[in-house]
Amino acid sequence: MTPTHFTISSAFLLGMMGLAFHRTHLLSALLCLEAMMLALFIALSLWSLQLDATGCSTAPMLMLAFSACEASAGLALLVATARTHGTGHMQALNLLQC
Amino acid sequence: MAYIMLTLLIGMVLGVISVASNPSPYFAALGLVLVAGVGCVVLMGHGGSFLSLVLFLIYLGGMLVVFAYCVALAAEPYPEAWGEWSVLGSVLGYLLLVVGAGSWFWGGWYEGMWVPVDELIEFSVVAADSGGVALMYSLGGGLLVVSAWVLLLTLLVVLELTRGLARGALRAV
Repeated sequence: MTPTHFTISSAFLLGMMGLAFHRTHLLSALLCLEAMMLALFIALSLWSLQLDATGCSTAPMLMLAFSACEASAGLALLVATARTHGTGHMQALNLLQC
Repeated sequence: MAYIMLTLLIGMVLGVISVASNPSPYFAALGLVLVAGVGCVVLMGHGGSFLSLVLFLIYLGGMLVVFAYCVALAAEPYPEAWGEWSVLGSVLGYLLLVVGAGSWFWGGWYEGMWVPVDELIEFSVVAADSGGVALMYSLGGGLLVVSAWVLLLTLLVVLELTRGLARGALRAV
């Protein structure tokens, strides 16, 4: 595994672990999701640059557009949660209980 | 040049650790800005200056500004930075994980592996990544139209989610 490949893989996995082990705020989970999307963008761009496959350069552009859509949907959910439950804390989302 | 790339890649991993350790959202957004900036320079080091520009403009200038406005919703009197023990424990754990996984691989890393080799097969007027992105408008025009409809759909989704009042389970208090 080249160092660059190792770095972007570990960036993605660290973001995923940050999303899984989130603590208080819903917003910090959304920020970890954004970090995963950023690692994916850099990975796709480096893929097309290192393989000299310039036709693959459209993939990171479209991925960025769709990740902006996903971020806006996540933030809309955050706003709706804050308006319904009063806070953005994860403990407030306790309606479904085992 | 290899040292510059080493520093940038380490900076990227440290930035993602600073986001993944879940401090208060103010500091997580700062860490994300660091990761995006360093990632842009990594892309430029590999020759992708247009993609780096797009990342800076759209990601930092568009998405993270919106996130910064939403961080105002998470205002708290005592925000936890990375000095707080609960966050510092996560930082040290992730650092240990990355160093441990890296020690698996760094036996096979040599000097030349850190930087790309610029292979000039031929001379060209258009840079590689700019020419590739232009394909999105010519051969990939169909996907572009579909993406435009997806973006419109997302706008309607967001407006419906934040409508509030009496519709749906999410309503204004």
